[in-house]
Amino acid sequence: MNDNRQQEDQTIKNKTIKDNTYFKNIQVNQMRIFPKKLHNSIIPIYSFNFKTMKRRFLVFAVIGLIIGLHNGAFAQLQDEKSVSITMDLQPILQLDMETADQIEFVFDDIKDYYAGITKYGATILKVSSTVSWDLYAVGRSNGTIGPEFWDQVIDYGSGSGTNAINEIPLSAVELHQSQANNGAAGAGITATYIDYSTPFPASTVHNGANSLYVNNGTLTPPTVADKYIAGHSGVTAVGDDAMAGGSYLTAGGYTSNYYYVVDYRLMPGLPAIFPNAFDADAATAEDLVTANGAGSYAEPGVYTMYVQYVLVEDQ
Amino acid sequence: MTIQQLRHIILILSLWIISPLSTISQIVCADVEIVSNTGEQADFVFDSFSKYISGITFHGIANVDVKVDDQLPSNPDCKWMLSMTVENNPSAGTAADEWETLVTYGSGSSTPPQIDILEVRVTNICSTSPVDGVYQTFTLSGDNIEIIENTGIVIPAGSCTTNVNGPGSYLTNYDEFHFQIDFRITPGFDYDPGIYQLQVKFELVEVP
Repeated sequence: MNDNRQQEDQTIKNKTIKDNTYFKNIQVNQMRIFPKKLHNSIIPIYSFNFKTMKRRFLVFAVIGLIIGLHNGAFAQLQDEKSVSITMDLQPILQLDMETADQIEFVFDDIKDYYAGITKYGATILKVSSTVSWDLYAVGRSNGTIGPEFWDQVIDYGSGSGTNAINEIPLSAVELHQSQANNGAAGAGITATYIDYSTPFPASTVHNGANSLYVNNGTLTPPTVADKYIAGHSGVTAVGDDAMAGGSYLTAGGYTSNYYYVVDYRLMPGLPAIFPNAFDADAATAEDLVTANGAGSYAEPGVYTMYVQYVLVEDQ
Repeated sequence: MTIQQLRHIILILSLWIISPLSTISQIVCADVEIVSNTGEQADFVFDSFSKYISGITFHGIANVDVKVDDQLPSNPDCKWMLSMTVENNPSAGTAADEWETLVTYGSGSSTPPQIDILEVRVTNICSTSPVDGVYQTFTLSGDNIEIIENTGIVIPAGSCTTNVNGPGSYLTNYDEFHFQIDFRITPGFDYDPGIYQLQVKFELVEVP
């Protein structure tokens, strides 16, 4: 009896619940999600309820999962490895020089004073460089007399004449290079003579075309007004004030821009005033008369100096 | 069954049919792998003039060993291609045709090296690469050179001919699946001294 009563109660409760559910569904079915007009223009969706939407959501979720599994889990197989390549370009400036340890000029004949002494091919300069470069020569000494004068090693005789001068300018040395400077065509170069390629002039011509660059005893590079063997002051461009990297080994040997044969001349003149001594810009004479007054002449003796060749990255 | 329900069923069935077909076509091999460790660094140090002139060559600096496994059961379409790509870290502002600059020496007025001074040569015993034995150059970052081309057909391992691209391994077909990579650089004298870097990436990929 009790069992029948319980079953009856449960039936009534289920019915109530169903009725409630039904009632709620009815209510929701009356709620339009989109205007009717819009429905017709897009997809034939007549009406929605949450139950239908839930089912649709699940359907599309399953579809998305299927597509995702296929496309994501089975992407095209591939593998890759990498190699890093590092290149270290170290700058190399190499100046090979063939020359005698010492070049001697002995003036023991009057014609040597007049015509001077020339040492042809006394020095050969061979350049190899991985960077753009300049090459210049600078006259230097130990500075015992002065920073821009030869060192006097021996003073001949027992005394000095009234006008005997031991201050022989370093610029009295004349150079001649075999190849012209092909790295000084820039508009900013103001030097009267950009290099030492001018042939030695006659002994009666004094123009400073070959006088050695000197800078107060230092190796400071020449300015735009001075001489270089190759390249020049400034970093504008190769050809304007720089020489391109390269080597005499691959650039055609002695006819190239990397190979220079240097001649030396020293001409005291008579009286010995070294008339070709000029500042490197060829504008300022440095002969003994100009520097010390009329009647001056070089004091006999042994003098020494050195020429320093500097190969430097374009600057 | 309503019309709407019928539409849903048709849609689902269509996706079941189309989706697997379109995706399965991309998977033709079980595995592709470059086995050898090529992740090393090749240091080219130019510290003498002779090296600048003659260049530096590293033989076998990167050995690429290929291993491609077929599916079970065997898929007759399993094939692959191998390529290499050069990169110069363009996000750092590197010009497309230049090496990435790490350090510069001095104050030179010249320019960073061009990518095309790097030469890469690929060889193996059977000369399976169309570019086998010939130094190749890249011009721009991202340039790609195919070592084994996508010919569209399967050339099985053991053929010992050009473009062998079937399943196989350097262990069983060493002459075809092992590639020796040589690098050569001849910088010349036109570039700014410094330290520069490039990356060469080897990519193995299956071809549907």
